[in-house]
Amino acid sequence: MKPPDHRDLHSRNYPVSEDMTLQRKVWRFERWGWYAMVLLMGLTLAGLFSKGPLSSAEVRSADGQLRVEYQRFLRNGSSDALVIHVRGRAREPLEVELSGALLQGFNVQMLQPQPLKASTAGDGMKVWVLSDNDGHARLHVTLNSDGVGSFQTKVALASGASVGLSQFIYP
Amino acid sequence: MDSVLRAAAIYLVLLVLFKVAGRRTLAELTTFDLVLLMVIGEATQQALLGDDFSLTNAVMVIVTLIVIDIGLSLVKQRSTWFARVLDGGPTVLVEDGQVLHKRLKHARLDEGDILEAARSTQGLVEIRQIRFAILERNGKISVIPYE
Repeated sequence: MKPPDHRDLHSRNYPVSEDMTLQRKVWRFERWGWYAMVLLMGLTLAGLFSKGPLSSAEVRSADGQLRVEYQRFLRNGSSDALVIHVRGRAREPLEVELSGALLQGFNVQMLQPQPLKASTAGDGMKVWVLSDNDGHARLHVTLNSDGVGSFQTKVALASGASVGLSQFIYP
Repeated sequence: MDSVLRAAAIYLVLLVLFKVAGRRTLAELTTFDLVLLMVIGEATQQALLGDDFSLTNAVMVIVTLIVIDIGLSLVKQRSTWFARVLDGGPTVLVEDGQVLHKRLKHARLDEGDILEAARSTQGLVEIRQIRFAILERNGKISVIPYE
């Protein structure tokens, strides 16, 4: 750090011995720390730590039959929803398969509407939901994040449409 | 294991945040500062304990916090440099009745703060009656009048 040109900032030895070089570093640290905290606040508002434009995401399969809304960033211990939109034939059970790391990183707290039936499938699970008169079904999965790190999940339909999603859980 | 990690992480985060806030911020405890401190405590508590409200967890967290605190004070005892970095040093703000304005600006203070300390501790009302005013490590301003 360059020596201060102003007399005010020179170290005094009486009545106390000062280290102004260090003190100026401390002041500089306080100033930059404040900028960093403002930046962090901005990023939080933007959704870097869940719930915000940076975090809310949506994936769609190529044929448009499957659409999933999810959060890219989550926090350990918090709950959040995964919304799965499925298109198929009217008033028919539609098969949705959830596989990948979903069950390792999350606790499935609730499935709404209640699936007609459910089964395990490899490391994941399969559920059957009934579509409405327009052939549209929506499944709300409430997840409680209990892992830390990055988790890849695959959502697939019996028709072959599938999407992959990657979620990161903060400690 | 995670109670120790939690406590250590919280200790470190709070240490850095309160360094950024500076020694003055919560030094003169107004009613609002007290409320702010309590709210910070509330926000910290969840992260410290997680969802484990057992006696063992509470004891482990407290033990970890105290171990780190004593550890740091031992390091400070051995290294004056470390102590200076962690605790800072006193800073002269008024010298022979002259305000060192550059320092005031950096320390986010103004003449009013010095005069307030002068009034309350020494019964002085003007800057020129002050020989030295010193911003102490704990954020309080000591005022030394002319003989």
